Amino acid sequence: MAFTSLGLVGAFLFGPKEAFVNVLIAEDEAIIRLDLKEMLEQNGFHVCAEARNGAEAVELARTAEPDVALLDLRMPVLDGAEAARRIYAERPIPIVMLTAFSDRGSVEKAISAGVFTYMTKPFRETDLMPAIRLAVARHSELLAARREVGGTASPKPIEIGLRSQSGDLWPLRVQRHADGSLGVVVDGDSP
Amino acid sequence: MRVLVGEDETLIRLDLTGMLTSVGFEVCAEARDGVEAVELARSEQPDLAILDVKMPRLDGIESARRIIDERPIPIVIVSAYTETSLVERATEAGVFGYLSKPFREEDLLPAIATARARFSQLVAVREQVETLAEALAARKVIERAKGILMAKDGLTEDVAFARLRKASQTSGRPLRVIAEAVVATLS
Repeated sequence: MAFTSLGLVGAFLFGPKEAFVNVLIAEDEAIIRLDLKEMLEQNGFHVCAEARNGAEAVELARTAEPDVALLDLRMPVLDGAEAARRIYAERPIPIVMLTAFSDRGSVEKAISAGVFTYMTKPFRETDLMPAIRLAVARHSELLAARREVGGTASPKPIEIGLRSQSGDLWPLRVQRHADGSLGVVVDGDSP
Repeated sequence: MRVLVGEDETLIRLDLTGMLTSVGFEVCAEARDGVEAVELARSEQPDLAILDVKMPRLDGIESARRIIDERPIPIVIVSAYTETSLVERATEAGVFGYLSKPFREEDLLPAIATARARFSQLVAVREQVETLAEALAARKVIERAKGILMAKDGLTEDVAFARLRKASQTSGRPLRVIAEAVVATLS
């Protein structure tokens, strides 16, 4: 059985019923890609797709539906940051960026593309595994919170109102006070 | 940005502090054990904390859990140990980064940047969840108070609602509080 160690990881990440954590790897250098794959599978992850460039990563993210994506920043056709942005826009999953560059600009670019974790090369197995586990856990919290407010990726103003029998709508506005408590006020003039 | 550093080994603490200051962060507190870290997080109100796992009195993960329980901030754990069980505990405690020792500046800075970004993102969505829950709860009780006033005084809906609003405005109390009072007194 190839995934005997998956029980533990899976139980931790998703509960015992969904043991597989499917990972997409995008890396143009074949050797690094192989290395990554081996590292991941030894740690109980399942590599469901391997891309050699950013465009392929976007395509495979669509068809293979991975739970996590590991993208190299510098890739041909489409770079990792742009690939991350497109993957995240289509289906939000935690994305780990692997890169030789750690300058502020590259990091900011990755963050704004939706990247959850940023790993600077060369990295060790002991760097990557905790990073992936943490990204998966924190990202699922984010998705859970988003589902409660309607599942949109970007926060939008909440519109709730009191509807009267005559058809008027009095919008309720929630205000956060300095002490963090919330209060509700009604917009507009009183009828 | 003000950072709390929790690390029992003086040399590593100095190193970490130096790294952070050199890139413009302010190290506002240095803790030598987990208990001190919790206390300093309370008194210094840092924006972020970097905690070593292995510290006397209270380990970094338990310390992180207590800090987050009191006041959520992004926390990055640094550790010479990366066993799944430790990472799992750190994840459950709510930390946003886990770095294995020894680490370089080019590991630490992106970890801090991503931890801050993803933390604020989560906070923003959670605040929205809270706001939504508050608005829904308020609507429910206001509707109920309005109905009670209409039935009791034979008011039209508009007049009942106007009364509630007026009561809120003149008393300076939130509409929800007024509505709750109406429901409690008249139902």
